[in-house]
Amino acid sequence: MQLRSEIQIQTAIKAMTEVVLPALDPHDKIAAEQGQLVVGMLALLGQQLPLQYRFDRDELTRLHAFAAALHPRASWPASAREAFAEMDSAAAGAEDVLDRARAEPHELEESIKRLRHAMTSVVRTVFSADDADARSAVRDSVMAMSEQQLLRDRSWLLMQNWEPNPQAVPPIEELLSVSEPRGEGAT
Amino acid sequence: MTQPDKDSPSPEWISSLRARFVTEREVDNALTRKLENRSGPGYQPVPLDELVDGVSALIRSNGDSSFEIADAYWLPGGASKLQMAFTVRWNQSDATSEPSRMVLRTETAESLHTTSRRREFELLSALNGVIPVPTAYWVDHDATHLPYPGLVTEFADGVSKPTDTQSGVSGLGTRLPPALREKLAPQFVERLARLHTFDFRAENLRTFDIPDAGRQNAIWAINWWDRVWEEDADEDVPLVALASAWLRKNAPAVDQLSVVHGDYRTGNYLFTEHDSRINAWLDWELARIGDRHQDLAWSTSNAFATYDENGRNLLVSGLLTEEEFFEAYERASGLSVDQKSVHYYKVFNAYAMVVMTLATSYRVARNGKSHQDVLLSWLLGVGYMLMDDMRRLIENGS
Repeated sequence: MQLRSEIQIQTAIKAMTEVVLPALDPHDKIAAEQGQLVVGMLALLGQQLPLQYRFDRDELTRLHAFAAALHPRASWPASAREAFAEMDSAAAGAEDVLDRARAEPHELEESIKRLRHAMTSVVRTVFSADDADARSAVRDSVMAMSEQQLLRDRSWLLMQNWEPNPQAVPPIEELLSVSEPRGEGAT
Repeated sequence: MTQPDKDSPSPEWISSLRARFVTEREVDNALTRKLENRSGPGYQPVPLDELVDGVSALIRSNGDSSFEIADAYWLPGGASKLQMAFTVRWNQSDATSEPSRMVLRTETAESLHTTSRRREFELLSALNGVIPVPTAYWVDHDATHLPYPGLVTEFADGVSKPTDTQSGVSGLGTRLPPALREKLAPQFVERLARLHTFDFRAENLRTFDIPDAGRQNAIWAINWWDRVWEEDADEDVPLVALASAWLRKNAPAVDQLSVVHGDYRTGNYLFTEHDSRINAWLDWELARIGDRHQDLAWSTSNAFATYDENGRNLLVSGLLTEEEFFEAYERASGLSVDQKSVHYYKVFNAYAMVVMTLATSYRVARNGKSHQDVLLSWLLGVGYMLMDDMRRLIENGS
């Protein structure tokens, strides 16, 4: 996906600072202040977004360690036992989540790019060679994969209103909840 | 994974692209210049005064020195070029010379289409009197006087959509009322027929290469957009590689070469509202000498179509049904419409639009090279729908 938050934020800030803010009525102090706040908020978002996942993971790691350190003592009130049991259960859940959240978002992004590049090289190589069977097989695979991925891409961008028939595109939440690729029948 | 640094292209990489993707010389010149300048600064807002000074210098360099420029203002519209309207008051001693309203169209550091102003100037000059186009006055091809290459033309009166209607970016999705459609549709078809039967060989179109009969024009066109993809794309897309191979394999031979507009649709002409007359065809920067089916496929793209009031008939460029369009075109031009070629060029046009949106829009906006970066990053989003259209067209054509 090329339309990522980084480029959206960067170009929105540029439009605000170079075009919108200079064009505001200089006497409208509230508009000027809120315009500056929008730029500031976007800049903050741009700085935080790449680190948001790492920030949350770091917080969960330390909370998990804190939960482990918070051992109940015998002298503590029995009424707290239920709360401790709940904490232990939540800590076990946190451990599981941390186990599954090892890769950084940028690693995921780089891995996607690398695989896309390698697959594209395969397509180019096969289509420049004289082997009809190989071409046909690669073509079928690319078309099937593209159909599924493009459905998700279009759904991801539904809010932009490009789709002539938006009802034919399932919501992105539904598509992303499907763990195995499948051939959704959108038009 | 070794990838070239596309934001700071090496001379070796530029040379390799030029060798791999042979296209028209002027297209090559424009794309090469883009890459050679890429590592330079991004777009800096240009004050109107600076453009006025540049235009004045351009006019003086062409021999006119007694004039003044007044009433300069920005013209909206378009995702690709900066446009300034202005008036030239000629200081003639006999006081008979009327003020001239004009438009400056100038590039930015990089834009959605990297094209040649010299080529646009030549074609507008050649088509003057053939179909309605603004008179072209001066061109600053290598930005001697202006901050970026630019072209000065006559200011054409008219609107690109009825003043009381709404449409999307660049005039897409414009709805035209039936009475207006009846008047515009015949002109839309007739002007296209006249363009496609225009004797370009009799003109001095030095920046246009004339392809051989057969497939050369199609191969040049694929090379053009393949090269732009290589220059601008950030992430690879296997379907784009597949589409390129499909286009090469299925490229049709052209039976008669024509001047192709490249973006012939509602939104790219101006009409005067009091008499519904098309007064000027605009945006010639993608024009080339090629296959008329490229324009026919572009005009009939769903991206530029709207439904009639009943919601039953899809109208080509909001004007008439596809069947009516092709029939009227054949009658007006005496040229045939080959459905297989129309299909081929629908795939080609979708491919070019995918390259413009997913590759060029991304690269220009991310590097801050235009006055419309936020619009370009917004346009990036339509690339996925276009790519899915392209996928379906390839599937249907196999």
